[in-house]
Amino acid sequence: MLMQSHMQEHNPGKDRLLIKFTVAAIMLICVMAVSCCLGSSDTSLSDVIKFFTGRSDELTKTTLTIITRIRIPRMITAALVGGALASVGCIMQGVFRNPMADPSVLGISSGAALGAAVAIVTGLNGVILFEAFTGAYIGAIIGAVITWLMVFTVAASNGRYDMSSTLLAGVAISSIMSALITVLMTLHLDDMERVYMWMLGTFSSSTVDKTKIMVVIIALMMPVLFFIAPRIDVMKLGKEAAMTLGVNQTVTLAVAMGACSCLLAFCVANSGIIGFVGLIIPHIVSYFKVTKMRSRLVLSFMTGAIFMVLCDTVCKTIVAPGELAIGAVTSLIGAPYFLFLLMGSRVRAGKERSSL
Amino acid sequence: MNLEVKNLTVGFGDKTILDNNSHTFSEGKITMILGPNGCGKTTFIRSVVKKFAKTGNLSYIPQEIYGNIGLTVEDTVALGRYNAKKFLSDQTEEDVRHINEAIFLMQLEDKRRQIFDTLSGGEKQRCMAARAVCQDAEWFIMDEPASSLDIVHSKFILDTASDLVRNNGKSFIVVMHDINAAAAYGDEFVLMRDGHIVKVCSELTADLLQDVFGTPFGSVKTDSGQTVFYAS
Repeated sequence: MLMQSHMQEHNPGKDRLLIKFTVAAIMLICVMAVSCCLGSSDTSLSDVIKFFTGRSDELTKTTLTIITRIRIPRMITAALVGGALASVGCIMQGVFRNPMADPSVLGISSGAALGAAVAIVTGLNGVILFEAFTGAYIGAIIGAVITWLMVFTVAASNGRYDMSSTLLAGVAISSIMSALITVLMTLHLDDMERVYMWMLGTFSSSTVDKTKIMVVIIALMMPVLFFIAPRIDVMKLGKEAAMTLGVNQTVTLAVAMGACSCLLAFCVANSGIIGFVGLIIPHIVSYFKVTKMRSRLVLSFMTGAIFMVLCDTVCKTIVAPGELAIGAVTSLIGAPYFLFLLMGSRVRAGKERSSL
Repeated sequence: MNLEVKNLTVGFGDKTILDNNSHTFSEGKITMILGPNGCGKTTFIRSVVKKFAKTGNLSYIPQEIYGNIGLTVEDTVALGRYNAKKFLSDQTEEDVRHINEAIFLMQLEDKRRQIFDTLSGGEKQRCMAARAVCQDAEWFIMDEPASSLDIVHSKFILDTASDLVRNNGKSFIVVMHDINAAAAYGDEFVLMRDGHIVKVCSELTADLLQDVFGTPFGSVKTDSGQTVFYAS
């Protein structure tokens, strides 16, 4: 009887999780629909509705091109990049047990951007596959991995690795990478504009082929993160205790960081450095009391996608026909909301009690 | 299953922490490891954990409890049921039974839905103990399980350990600082100094403690027949 009452206690929790996923999914669809209708060119809502209800033969050729070649790829890319960045942030905050851990804080984004920038200015940015998989992606991955190795080497140089030195090392290495990008830009003034767009982040150059690449990398890497997510929960018990449960910390860490680096490098090569998403989205998920890593990962992906599509919609409409940099919008919308959450102290619920 | 360690040597860089130690921990007992700070106790039991982790026969409660776990008490305890071979982490009825029993045993029922990080130090330690209990392993290896517990709760933890040994056939290896608590609950004592096991015995004496800790010890017998040690 006692056990029975416990079982019943569990069920509402699981149902609420399902409700949260459903709400997020509906919101994502709504935001994507809105994003599809808005843009710098005049494509009316009725045109978009016609397209999605299978009456595309009633549309002009220009309208059809705008919807299929510009609006939809851009919207999907924004959703995928937002989801991937939020997932990476979610995993990293779990792995490092620190609410500050984020690819942009640890310098991995800057490292990837430097790699991509090097590929562009040295002319290694040739097409490798699918008409859009260029050297910049390879450069970004190499840049991300090298940055990781640097951060870990510095942080673990005094024998045992600890979180504060990882964060400090990351902040320092981040500024080295940013400085190198600046140097690179100054040396190659003719490529400056293209590299500069990276520093700010944009989805305006999204194409169908670039979107396909994001789809492929996310289809490859997200299942890896989904698979190892419960292991990251187990690792919170400490290295030896995790070992008794069959979880090897070093292997799990390497797999998590490898998958995260790949996702991040592709996001950066695709649309530049977009800060703040990886940092705030996991805290929003915490705010809704989702605690287990696997659920957090899925909800982070969805929330990140919603947030990014929303920001991109603001980006392309608020100063139309011009565009705002997406990084500025994510910070302008994200940071105040993050501060609001911080004041409500819910964010701190996932944190050790401070002695101050 | 006895845990046999042979010629164990551990060093970091050019510093030797453990120098050629051998010991067989015998099952069905509470083995207490005693010794001054920095003598290699934690390194010793960590090495035991590393050696036998793959057998799936032991659970480990570290001294250091990490912050930012961010899970509810119930989910933290449930980590003890984690099975690396299962892709989906759905709990079976048996898992749920073990989790509920462990939470009940460690008196955490009213804290089930609370986030781990908001617990007090003692509650955190009981939660970690519940996590280990729910793992249902044969061996429990604990590093300073009572370090942040008040006297009532540290007695509670050691009483629970005693019960698990007598009634459930479990075995314990415990690193202890409280010599009197160790003396009261231990079946066997491993005394360490400077990376060596200096003595294995089944009863502590003031002379032995003096030898290991390098400071004079005295002892008195209480009315109930218990020997109490003090550094004099």
